Amino acid sequence: MLEKRRFIIGAVLIAGAVSYLIYAGVRTTSMYYFSLDEFLSSREAHADEDLRVKGWVRHGSMHWDPRTNDLAFELAHQDDSSPVPVAYRGVLPDMFSEGREVVIEGRYSGGRLAAHQIMTSCPSKYEPAKAGS
Amino acid sequence: MPALGRLAICLALLFAAYATGVSILGALRRRRHLVRSGEHAAYAVFALVVVAVAILLRALVQHDFSLEYVAAYSSSTLPLRYTVAALWGGQKGSLLFWAFMLTLFTTIVQLQNRERNRELMPWVTATLMTTAAFFLGLLTFVTDPFERLPIAAREGADLNPLLQNYWMTIHPPSLYTGYVSASVPFAFAIAALATGRLGDQWIRSVRRWSLFSWFFLTLGNLFGARWAYEVLGWGGYWAWDPVENAAFMPWLVSTAYLHSVMIQEKKDMLRVWNMVLVLLTFSLTIFGTFLTRSGVISSVHSFTQSGLGPFFIGFLLFVLVVAGGLLAYRLPELRTQATVESFLSRESAFLFNNLVLVGIAFAVFWGTVFPVVSEWVRGVKITVGPLFFNRVNAPLGIALLFLAGLGPAIAWRRASPPNLWRAFAGPVAAGLVAALALRLAGVPLGYAHSTFALGVFVLGTIVQEFWRGMRARQAMLHESPARALSRLVGKNRRRYGGYIIHIGVVAVFVGVAASSVFRVEVQQTLAPGQETAAGKFTLRYERITKQDDPHVSRLAAVVSVWRDGKAVTTLAPEKRFYKKPQQPTTEVAMRATLTEDLYLVLGSYDEQSGLVTILAYVNPLVSWIWIGGIVMALGTTVAMWPTPAERREPAYALGRVRAATD
Repeated sequence: MLEKRRFIIGAVLIAGAVSYLIYAGVRTTSMYYFSLDEFLSSREAHADEDLRVKGWVRHGSMHWDPRTNDLAFELAHQDDSSPVPVAYRGVLPDMFSEGREVVIEGRYSGGRLAAHQIMTSCPSKYEPAKAGS
Repeated sequence: MPALGRLAICLALLFAAYATGVSILGALRRRRHLVRSGEHAAYAVFALVVVAVAILLRALVQHDFSLEYVAAYSSSTLPLRYTVAALWGGQKGSLLFWAFMLTLFTTIVQLQNRERNRELMPWVTATLMTTAAFFLGLLTFVTDPFERLPIAAREGADLNPLLQNYWMTIHPPSLYTGYVSASVPFAFAIAALATGRLGDQWIRSVRRWSLFSWFFLTLGNLFGARWAYEVLGWGGYWAWDPVENAAFMPWLVSTAYLHSVMIQEKKDMLRVWNMVLVLLTFSLTIFGTFLTRSGVISSVHSFTQSGLGPFFIGFLLFVLVVAGGLLAYRLPELRTQATVESFLSRESAFLFNNLVLVGIAFAVFWGTVFPVVSEWVRGVKITVGPLFFNRVNAPLGIALLFLAGLGPAIAWRRASPPNLWRAFAGPVAAGLVAALALRLAGVPLGYAHSTFALGVFVLGTIVQEFWRGMRARQAMLHESPARALSRLVGKNRRRYGGYIIHIGVVAVFVGVAASSVFRVEVQQTLAPGQETAAGKFTLRYERITKQDDPHVSRLAAVVSVWRDGKAVTTLAPEKRFYKKPQQPTTEVAMRATLTEDLYLVLGSYDEQSGLVTILAYVNPLVSWIWIGGIVMALGTTVAMWPTPAERREPAYALGRVRAATD
């Protein structure tokens, strides 16, 4: 009986450790994942906090300097409305271009998003090129 | 021809439904001819799926762009090997490929069991054919691989350039093989539950299938990591993306099963637990397929949102309800009296190992679905990134490594102090000496240090096992050392194959720990002739070179590399611009050695100033991950290899295959 109890204590300890690690991990590493609208309505409340925002790269808004690796663009809806300026320093992701859907990870402060990571989705399916294009 | 392909799939669906129904009926009414009829129908399903696959392959190779699938995933300039790989490069093709593997395995299982497991077989056939019917149903009603375009395209849109890579041609088939072969143990588990034959019989029948599935899941995960490392260009090999997690979770649970099943065979314990692990592994393969195809959880490289999600969730619920119901029904019969006798025993080491593995699987699952759960519960999406997975899994991984050293050497039932001393004095001493030596060599305390020291401990126990086994044979049978060693492994393939796998696991752990903790990352913008340092390396950007052909144009930065002041190589990281899906890609340049990889990426190039931005990563010991993978594959092959007594059976089955195909 004693052995069984020791064994159960061991099992409970492992389960407890796993639970604690998950709990602590979520608490320290989780961040909000907003759509652009969700972000627009709550951005002041989440200023200076790491978060992810999904949106589209507004047409005509992209400025990229390959000498300094400074990227500036506006995150907007698919129809280019409600733009939010984004600043990023780093290498331009391959799939990044105007009109594309992106997720940026960064902080909002002073009216703009300072991104430290830009994620572009790379769909394995491509629409066939439209006639004439 | 495409119409014929569609017809083959529709017929296959009908036959699969018939096979399921007639097998169950035959089992319930105990009619042999019905059971045989079900098996014959299953062979027909396989033959029909082969026809469909052949027709789709033919359309791909002949560039029949009137088919939507061919036009979407290939082009007339795509090299042949990638044209063939396009068979599983898109969603529809991959589902057809899945059906192909599943019906192939069904055929093999039936041939293996023509004279064996006759009570179980109708249920095995029914389970496999139900799964096949699910996939064939999707192909028939939801997503038709033989769909025609209203007007045939003149040219295809081509395969995604990121998939045009050697590892990507072998990664998906390996993973699918691992996923799909997990259906076989699952089918036997369902058969055992349905018939009430809950003893060891079903477990022994699927032992090799479980290993086979695990083997390919292992390879599939490693090939995927290798692909990510070579192609994605961010300097790492694992990003905890949902798609990666989808492949990792069944591997973890399957690993747990391979360990705990030994306890059942030896001690007749854990019957319920093993059953749960088999059911869970299969459910996780379906869940993984769901993850990669539904778009429910945003992933960096998933299939596009496709509307298939609800079907997979529906099928998953069906599986869970049926399997869970059967399990609950048989629960009283499954329970056994045997319990763990001692806290210090191999049984308990294996059980703790199981808890840790399932714990890791749960943590990965939780992190993966967290955005969806938080959206349900709180109305906002909250994500956790790679940091979460690393923080949770690093300590659990360390615990697992420790148990990997404990498990093989500790005594069954109850370990006495003399036994513990005899088993662990040497390995523990080796681990402590290594820990001290590493500290003196300047390795800071932390995860990497613990991993290295524990790795030495684990290797110590394994070497000791081999050594003692060999000495015993030498003393008793007067064999030469080489002969004693090969006989030792040959007579206990599963045990020593397992030890070899553990050696590979240690190598993977060491590679992962070193490259995670000690990696150096440098980003520098350089003019021609300028230099920068990255760890022990000095890099000089020499010039840019350009190349252009109809398929792709390339831009390469030529970089001279010195290590500790000595010129070692010249590397040329590239940017490529694919022309058909107009898309730039990054082509990594690498110098890989056993001690470290120098990994260069061309970040950007400014035409006017001639400036380039180079990203340089120095990743220590990454090669050991791939070497560890090869060792694991070797070990699994040793463990799977038939013993002389068993060897007659496959030959017999092979004879049957010949008879059936003549």
